[in-house]
Amino acid sequence: MSPAPRPALTTTAALQSALAAEHAAVYGYGVVGANLSGSRQAAAMTDWVAHQVARDTLEAMLRSRGAQPVAAAVAYQLPVTVRTPGQAASLAVLLEDRVATAYLRLVALSSPSIRRFGALQVRAAALRAAFWRGSTVAFPGLPASALAAPRRSEP
Amino acid sequence: MAAHPTRRVVLAVAATLPLAAASGCDGVDVLAAPPRPALDVALLRSAITAEELMAARYANVLKGVRNPGGTSAALAAALEPVLAEHQAHLAQLRSRLIVPAGAAPSPSERAPAQPPVPTAPAAAVTFLRAAEQAAAAAMLERLPHAPASLAQLFASISASEATHVPVLDAVLLDTRRAGG
Repeated sequence: MSPAPRPALTTTAALQSALAAEHAAVYGYGVVGANLSGSRQAAAMTDWVAHQVARDTLEAMLRSRGAQPVAAAVAYQLPVTVRTPGQAASLAVLLEDRVATAYLRLVALSSPSIRRFGALQVRAAALRAAFWRGSTVAFPGLPASALAAPRRSEP
Repeated sequence: MAAHPTRRVVLAVAATLPLAAASGCDGVDVLAAPPRPALDVALLRSAITAEELMAARYANVLKGVRNPGGTSAALAAALEPVLAEHQAHLAQLRSRLIVPAGAAPSPSERAPAQPPVPTAPAAAVTFLRAAEQAAAAAMLERLPHAPASLAQLFASISASEATHVPVLDAVLLDTRRAGG
């Protein structure tokens, strides 16, 4: 692991990045829930709480490293207009995809325990995203640019 | 990339993901560990073998479903997208492995095994559900020793496999409702 420059700072930055995504998700799920009713609203509430728990976990991890956790913004520019239940579900998918991508950065760090924590959070986000999307994807959290075009034939 | 003279198979580390910031914090170097090709290749091969097995299981269940007397088109329609995702995992994993021309094929590159699967629809879906859970867990066990970009791919695939479990739960409900 010696070639890794300032691993502590790298880990802190990745944790802060995940925390920022969780702050955005906590804010966003408020909007998601406000545009839903019945069991869908209850599901949004459950996910909202899950993001609050994850946020608190990340803040504790950062504090234990001696870092000051990034604060939530007062308001967030939502990536989509939300006026209907369908749009609310789309926002939830977007929030989960961003959270998953942020946690995948933790999986690239060298600490096995942080890798595992990141991977479990990617899984949790993927499960929530699949619920709101109504279908699954092959590579949760991985941007298309990160996927190699498969080779056509084996040698 | 250059291969060690005695090493026939190497990782396509060129495929490292430029997983730049999701939210701020650009320029963080996420590549922590130097590559250790021999171990990396073994990890990648085991992941490829595991995904081949999953794809073969789905293919075999689907084969049974499509037989005359086999269950519904609905079951096949539900399982086919999941099989497609396993095939996508497999293609992505294989793309990370560079096998020079003339290298002896590994077991996983020979004819894939034909794993036995239950024939009754409900039993088959229950079997696939357990297999997904085991595969997702096994993929996580590969994380500690994988290079960064491969670890990210493993984590993403593991998460994908975890999302197949609720899909199979829904299929199982439908199957039981249909009397399967």
